[in-house]
Amino acid sequence: MSASRDIRITGLTKSFGRNRVLHGIDLEIRAGEFVGLMGPNGAGKSTLIKILDGVYKADSGEIAYGEQSVRSLADLTEVGFIHQDLGLVESLTIMENLRLGQDPLRMIGPILHHRREREAARRAIARVHLQRPVDTLVGDLSAGEKTLVAVARLLDRGARVLFVDEATSTLPPADSRQFIAALRRTVEEGATVIMVSHKLSEILDSTQRVVVLLDGRLASDVSAQGLQREQLVRMLVAHEAEGHDLRPIRRAPGEELLRLDAVRTERVGPIDLQLRSGEIVGLTGLPGSGLHDVAFLANGSTRPHSGEVVKAPGVRTALVPPHRESQGGFDLLSVRQNLTVSALSRWRHRSRLLRLGEELREVEGMVASLSITPSDCELEYGTLSGGNKQKVVFGRVLFRRPRVYVLCEPTRGVDVGTRAEIYRLINELRDQDAAVLVVTSDSEDLFAVCDRISVVDAGSLGEFVPIDSASAEELEAFI
Amino acid sequence: MSSTETAVNPATDGHEDTARAADSRWPAWITSKSFQGAISFIAFIAIFVVFSVWLGSKFFNVPARYLDIHQSAPVLLLGLSVLVTLIAGQFDLSVASMATLTTFLAIGLKVNQNWPFALVIVVCMLIGVVGGLVNGFLVVRLRVNTFIATLGTGGVFLGLSSVYSKGAQLSPTTTSHQIPHWFSGAGSLGSFGEKVPAALAWLVLAGCAVALGVALARRRPPGVAERTWQALSATAVIVLAVVLVVVVDIGEVVEQISLTMGVLFVVALAMWVLLNYTTYGRYLHATGSNATAARLAGVKPDKETTKAFVLGGVLAAFAGIILAANQGSAAPEAATGFLLPAFAAAFLSTVILSTGRFTVWGTLIGGTFLVWVGQGLVVGGLAFTWTAVVNGVVLILAVALSTMFRRTN
Repeated sequence: MSASRDIRITGLTKSFGRNRVLHGIDLEIRAGEFVGLMGPNGAGKSTLIKILDGVYKADSGEIAYGEQSVRSLADLTEVGFIHQDLGLVESLTIMENLRLGQDPLRMIGPILHHRREREAARRAIARVHLQRPVDTLVGDLSAGEKTLVAVARLLDRGARVLFVDEATSTLPPADSRQFIAALRRTVEEGATVIMVSHKLSEILDSTQRVVVLLDGRLASDVSAQGLQREQLVRMLVAHEAEGHDLRPIRRAPGEELLRLDAVRTERVGPIDLQLRSGEIVGLTGLPGSGLHDVAFLANGSTRPHSGEVVKAPGVRTALVPPHRESQGGFDLLSVRQNLTVSALSRWRHRSRLLRLGEELREVEGMVASLSITPSDCELEYGTLSGGNKQKVVFGRVLFRRPRVYVLCEPTRGVDVGTRAEIYRLINELRDQDAAVLVVTSDSEDLFAVCDRISVVDAGSLGEFVPIDSASAEELEAFI
Repeated sequence: MSSTETAVNPATDGHEDTARAADSRWPAWITSKSFQGAISFIAFIAIFVVFSVWLGSKFFNVPARYLDIHQSAPVLLLGLSVLVTLIAGQFDLSVASMATLTTFLAIGLKVNQNWPFALVIVVCMLIGVVGGLVNGFLVVRLRVNTFIATLGTGGVFLGLSSVYSKGAQLSPTTTSHQIPHWFSGAGSLGSFGEKVPAALAWLVLAGCAVALGVALARRRPPGVAERTWQALSATAVIVLAVVLVVVVDIGEVVEQISLTMGVLFVVALAMWVLLNYTTYGRYLHATGSNATAARLAGVKPDKETTKAFVLGGVLAAFAGIILAANQGSAAPEAATGFLLPAFAAAFLSTVILSTGRFTVWGTLIGGTFLVWVGQGLVVGGLAFTWTAVVNGVVLILAVALSTMFRRTN
């Protein structure tokens, strides 16, 4: 292995069918850098990472590690990847996870040397400041601790270059901070880190250099030193001048549409909650607090053990589920089928058959108004990028035309531009006299759209406060 | 929003040409999804042509090939039966046993018990409903693994059929009660000699030609001008018609369709409409694709899955009735050997004119392909005992192909 651990990427291109995702990326990453890789949904970040990880093969271009030209970085022990799915086995202990895929430490013959394995594991997790017995099951760890184990595992295997692909997007802020602190320490020890994230503050606070991809090209490559948030936003949205600072006009809420009366389940309760027309109510809380259970209760997706969910007559509800990948859509079905599945009766003829032509017309309208790309509504949902999947799920909810909207993590993993669009849509719902419940672990959602907010903690709901009297610092400190 | 649109679209559009240039080792139509979806279909036609050239009129013979379809109508119906549960993301291994059971009951309840024949048919179909409900209850309510549940109920259905028949062959004798003449025997529903009225068959053929034209016109690949595509699809339909008229005797093709084949077509048509033009079909696809997402989107996956098992059971029961009509008697384990080709047909549908999805017409074409390949080999000199081997190999090839397509796409 050569001494230099620089990574040099030249002229990397990649197309999927007719759709060109990367248009010749040139990028050099020097050893010991902490690089933030940003870009809107569909800009090609994930594709780039997947090419480097050997999942996809580039159509053309070169990748070099030090002096060595390689097809991908995946086979190099000095390079490690952390994806959103951390690749840990939940039913094994920390130690067992760390040993997976490594040469076994043996006593005699096939007998494993448990004490040495434990010691090695202890050393590995100490490097990321994780204080847990190494015999803890990974499934029992918090989301943040799991990411630390993932880092420890890579370092333990000798990784000196880490690629981190949106591993923080589902983490609560405190865990995120802990994780990034661990990454920063590895950089101080001489490692290289390339982190993909949508969160501006993470990138601004911790990285040394910011690389922005737009439409499969390298659009900006600047030092993070002294970089202002507004400058970064401008780089990300390219031509878009307006941010998402649309102060909505608030007004007095109308009649009650849905009420939770002392509702309890195994994990949450008692919950009392009232949703009124023309009002947007925000809930936030830590993962595991029962935050999303409240959303499922309000939508009627789970039945309460006791208490009552009271709906005003004729009120329909619709839900944007918190986990887009596993709960959001139907990968094998078309965008069209994904959009209309909750509202099919609208296109049902008296003969019970569907009027597909009419459906198609309305779907095309929705695809255009949400600017879902690509705009082909017969495309499989599974092939869309994350942000576009979110838009499709959102469109499905809009098609249902409910009076009560339950929106979980409406902006999770979406880029700045889409975020602004989603906020605008939610604010429009208020004007249409709907009741909206926004359930989110992103405080930005609360401030952008909500009228009053509360925190779910250990299964119970706190006092509601008007958004104007809530401060970001207070909330951030809590969640 | 419009600003993001302008930010994204011009860039991608502007570079579509360069993207296409990069792929220029292959013409665009080869890399297109519609072509890849049609590869298996083209392979099917090619195999048919090879057999026809090799074996001449021993293989390329309309009545003989139609007889194959006529005789495998129960298999194809079972293919449609497993198709429904496969779309719902489940497996139903009990369908062949269900068909065996209803074959015995359709013959036996008349011959032994002398029930009115209409009642016999109704009872058989009801047994299909009950069997489906049991499967649905086990899988949906008790959360029994679908393999185990349907393997078990299959054993029960098959067992009940031998309990009823005491393990013996069952057929009408000169002294017993007789099966109605319209149902089985010469000149009946089950006989190959009885054809669908020619006028009706011609009408349906014309309908099919129009539907094919419309379907082709709708599948216009992006980048092909509408005019060009219309001309192309019209040409395709005309060429197909010419081939049918000149190479095969179209009159024979249309007028040789047996009643059983007609019934099969009607059932398939109904299934196609159900799966593609009703809310139930959509809900079923959604359930099979992602049950959690379906539930959160307001679909009731448990209900739809149960319905799928019931529909599958009814189709299996109907397959048994058709088998009874074809054979006029019931043999132990009459339909058990149909399970493999039925699944093979359904899985072939994922690679015939489709990339990765189960379809009604694909199942029929796939099932027919299976029989014809088997028959072609038999006509070519292979012992008929090899048929199961061929079926197994084709099933595995089909699944491997469809997985491969999924991966490359």
